[in-house]
Amino acid sequence: MFLTLRLLGNRHPSFIARTVFVKNNNVDDACRLLNRILGKEGILEQFRLTRHYEKPFQTRRRVNHEKCKAIYNEDMERKIQFVLRKNRHEPFPGCQ
Amino acid sequence: MLSALRNKFRVSVNTFVRSFQTTAPVATERFDLKRIPADDEGVQGEKIIDLDSVLKQKRNIFPTLESDKELHDGILYKDLPICNIRVTHNNTIFTLTSAEGAVKIIRSCGMEGFKNTKKGTNIAAQTTAISIASKAIDKGYKTIKVRVRGLGPGRLSAVKGLTMGGLQVVSVTDATHVSWNPPRPRKARRL
Repeated sequence: MFLTLRLLGNRHPSFIARTVFVKNNNVDDACRLLNRILGKEGILEQFRLTRHYEKPFQTRRRVNHEKCKAIYNEDMERKIQFVLRKNRHEPFPGCQ
Repeated sequence: MLSALRNKFRVSVNTFVRSFQTTAPVATERFDLKRIPADDEGVQGEKIIDLDSVLKQKRNIFPTLESDKELHDGILYKDLPICNIRVTHNNTIFTLTSAEGAVKIIRSCGMEGFKNTKKGTNIAAQTTAISIASKAIDKGYKTIKVRVRGLGPGRLSAVKGLTMGGLQVVSVTDATHVSWNPPRPRKARRL
């Protein structure tokens, strides 16, 4: 409830979101953790994308490229999982 | 001598081969279901470990509603002075303000003597950070919270430089303005 009240007063209250406490004076770790979270949430990506206007043809190209990459990554992941599989019913199939 | 060795070798090979007598596989042998391992929880868990384990291990690493009232060096967290760092590709600007936002000290890489492209380097950011830290200590600020805005080469080294200058950084906040439905940005650079 207090949080909602605080949010009502200010849409972007500072030092609540995107904040990491520094532990044991280890600033490097805190910064890296913050950056990793920002990267994972896609905030940095969005920031970079909106620096300059992206023409529609560029958007189309980017989206298509992302699609292709996702398909490739998915299939490659599946292939790697297949090759690395260890829990086979028969440890050496076809060698009887 | 050699022949003796050879004999020895042959014997050993013979015994080796003999030990590998196999029987034909029995077709009637039933497959033991117990040999199939149950769905491995470990594999699924490993993917989760990636970032979440770090977050789970270090508790109290993110602010809560109570963290405003925590004492840091005898000062409430919300009353700590703030060091705003504006990081761009071409410059890094440090502004030390009180908790309310009144500016106390302002330094930038350009003021520090770095000119033109040298302003936007991480070394410039670090030296500026150290100089503003010493100035802040002269004015009596010891513990601060840091708010970083923007992306650039000086992003990490700026915060590091503040600690190297002797200030104690309590928390690092990112305040980069990011919008998912922004007004039309400026046109792309032509390189």
